[in-house]
Amino acid sequence: MKFRNMLLLAAGVAAASGTFAQQAQPKPETLIKWRQSAYQVLAWNGARIKANVEGQYNKDEVVRAANSTAAIANSGLGALFAPGTEQGKGWHDTTVKPELFKDPKKVGELAGNFVREANELAKVAATGDQAAVKAQFGNLGKTCKACHDEFKNKD
Amino acid sequence: MEHGAIWDLPTRLFHWLLVAVGIGAAVTGKIGGNLIEWHGRFGLLILGLIVFRVVWGFVGSDTARFARFVRGPRAVAAYLRGEWQGVGHNPLGALAVLALLALIAAQAASGLFANDDIAFQGPLADLVGKEASDRARAWHSLVFDGLIALAVLHVGAIVFYLRVKGRNLIRPMIDGGEARATGAAPRPHHARSIAAFLIAALVASGAVYAAAGGLLPADAPPAQCAPAAW
Repeated sequence: MKFRNMLLLAAGVAAASGTFAQQAQPKPETLIKWRQSAYQVLAWNGARIKANVEGQYNKDEVVRAANSTAAIANSGLGALFAPGTEQGKGWHDTTVKPELFKDPKKVGELAGNFVREANELAKVAATGDQAAVKAQFGNLGKTCKACHDEFKNKD
Repeated sequence: MEHGAIWDLPTRLFHWLLVAVGIGAAVTGKIGGNLIEWHGRFGLLILGLIVFRVVWGFVGSDTARFARFVRGPRAVAAYLRGEWQGVGHNPLGALAVLALLALIAAQAASGLFANDDIAFQGPLADLVGKEASDRARAWHSLVFDGLIALAVLHVGAIVFYLRVKGRNLIRPMIDGGEARATGAAPRPHHARSIAAFLIAALVASGAVYAAAGGLLPADAPPAQCAPAAW
């Protein structure tokens, strides 16, 4: 009897630690929330760069927005597209297409373009004028679009 | 507006401007980046052209009027049997005209409310909120595919007429053509009054003004937040 109890206890501990190990990994819902939030921050930064290149130009504001954009671009967003997050709800239903998870080479290429142009934007924001920032902001937008066209559901 | 021409000048101008601006809108939309601003301008222009054509379909020349060329299924069947004699859009072609006008109007209208999830949105997107704007974006993609299919059909039909039936439909759309007066098909009556043209142009301009957000309440200047202290 005693031996059997010990076995049960051991099994229980093992099961519990397994659960803990799983909980150390963020849940898919959390990952989806994080990535949706990251893109919202990109939207914020994009909106203020756009406002600055179309209206009165404030260099400090553009530098902040461009640096923030570059920081997010370099943050390793790919980790938020872990297996298990193909479908599901974060703040809202994910809009990612299942194809993204099947073509890491293509995603890597598109993401690499995005990072490159975001870094360039940060550089141009620090040194360039309004026209140069506007042009580079357009280049960055094209890399957003390339990935949206490929991997983002629009319906 | 030459006497005896099949297509009047406003109809021809409408047609070729629509071709040019439509291609411009499609190309700038596909390229994106800063060209998306031009995509928006082209879209507004297309909307104006469509509104012009619809009004012209009521006040324009004979061959441009819906009441004259839009016919019922029996006329379409008669046309398919080769029994149609007339000038201008045939009863089957009329359906294609309506479909093209409707789809292009839907495309322009959905664009007004759409957003690209990057840094651009149609001038009326804020009226409906993000969710509806996203749906408009979805329609915008869907209608685009339909439009490409219709455009291919349209050009295909013209090539078919040229190669198989030996009729050049392109030339009359350029120079107006010459309506052959036969017993069954009198020469089209042309709108002579400049007033009809002005009415159509005025309505079209008004539509573009409203579509561009001209009627929205003037709110505070766009979200150009003052640089934050922290």
